[in-house]
Amino acid sequence: MDAGEILDLMNLVVTKRGLPAISDMALSTRDAKFRSLDFSEVALRIEDKIGRELSFDAAEMRRIVTVKDVVDFFTEASRAA
Amino acid sequence: MSELFTNNLVWTGGAQTNWSGLLNIAKNALGDAGRFADHRVLFVVDDNRQALAAVIYGLTNCLDWGVIERSRLTPEVEVRCYENGVWPVPIAGSATVTAPATVDHVHGRITVLTSGSTGLLKLIAHDRETLNTFDRMKQADTQTWFLPFQIGSYAWYQMVMLGLLVERQNLYAAETGDLAASFERALATGQITAISSTPTFWRFVLLATDRDVLQVSPINSISIGGEVVDQAILDQLRNIYPKAIIRHIYASSETGAAIVVSDGLAGFPVRVLNDPQRKIGVKVEDGRLFIRSKYCTRTSGGDWVDTGDLIEIRNDRVYFCGRSGTTMINVGGQKAFTHDVEAHLMSHPTVAWTKVTARKAPLVGHLPIAAVVLKAPMEQEQAEQMLVAHCTGKLADYAIPRLWQFLEGIPLSSSLKS
Repeated sequence: MDAGEILDLMNLVVTKRGLPAISDMALSTRDAKFRSLDFSEVALRIEDKIGRELSFDAAEMRRIVTVKDVVDFFTEASRAA
Repeated sequence: MSELFTNNLVWTGGAQTNWSGLLNIAKNALGDAGRFADHRVLFVVDDNRQALAAVIYGLTNCLDWGVIERSRLTPEVEVRCYENGVWPVPIAGSATVTAPATVDHVHGRITVLTSGSTGLLKLIAHDRETLNTFDRMKQADTQTWFLPFQIGSYAWYQMVMLGLLVERQNLYAAETGDLAASFERALATGQITAISSTPTFWRFVLLATDRDVLQVSPINSISIGGEVVDQAILDQLRNIYPKAIIRHIYASSETGAAIVVSDGLAGFPVRVLNDPQRKIGVKVEDGRLFIRSKYCTRTSGGDWVDTGDLIEIRNDRVYFCGRSGTTMINVGGQKAFTHDVEAHLMSHPTVAWTKVTARKAPLVGHLPIAAVVLKAPMEQEQAEQMLVAHCTGKLADYAIPRLWQFLEGIPLSSSLKS
């Protein structure tokens, strides 16, 4: 999946909670109020779209700070076989 | 031993008879009961007429017996019967299986087949006394009970024993096939005055049947059980049947009926716990409900039975949270109870039915997800937003379902549960 599709999914998740859509990719996940539960939900929505379970590198996940990091992380994870 | 009230009325296939008439049907079909005297028999039946005939035949001849619907007699069940020395005998036609070597034979034993909450088929030993959970109703008014349960299930036997062992308690058996249509036909006769069923049965009926049709019959007694009963379903039934006595009953095939609540509120009062005046003991240990009762199965030996049901006490009220190991979702170390989430969703006016389950998820381990039936179709995204807003601030964040599946109809299992 590409970065735009993943940001759309992230925005679907946060706007459902009544929060504004994220447009600034440099924003930290904390400032964007994008929490671990949201991260997990986006992962499941990606799994449903690509039809397989995502495999994660825990070390990569720990380096996530900004919205762009989340987008890059899922772009890579959804691409990996 | 309790008296059999063979003049109580029974409707099967829409036709009226009584237990004496059903006994004649069984005698004509099965002949002399002597050939079953030393065997553990399971009568194989096609419909409620045959099933009820088998019941009165088994009881009057004090056989070691049970009843099963032909469609449930799968090869797996046949093997289970063979292993336990149980002989399946069709009430119509000749036996296709010869009598197995009887492992043990007990006069008056009634075999109840249940897959319970575990999914594993079990043969539970009862008798007419342990199945007679209505013995406190000796002075009951005349009632005609709609009998919706699957033939041979524990709930079915309980209702059948009510119709046989308590005077003036008549039964109107559902026809096989479309249950909602069968219920509508039964109501249209104006005969039905009482019904015992599950919350899922009522949600199914309330979605499929117009309110004015439901109010045609003079129903004055409603019993609900078999699943956790939430406040929303109690309120809906009170609204439709304002004059009826509405009870919710905690019962299982292992413990029998143990707790009856009729104050219109979900859960039960905390004073029921450890009350020495109660004939049926109820206690809580480690958040689990234990029952000690004479209605427990023969195997319990009068000891406390661990029901496996989880409970929580809030404001002097005891609430069921579901079954141990199946209804708690661990979300990043926090516990979400599916029944709490379901009860809250059911309080939304557009929700007809819901089932909350866990889905494996990265980072937090599991997330709650919900299947929902709405009373009127809605666009998916709009429906999700509406229900998330309904949960926000009322449920913990980790307990709010994250993925939603909107179904067209309520899935109804053969036990009338979901």
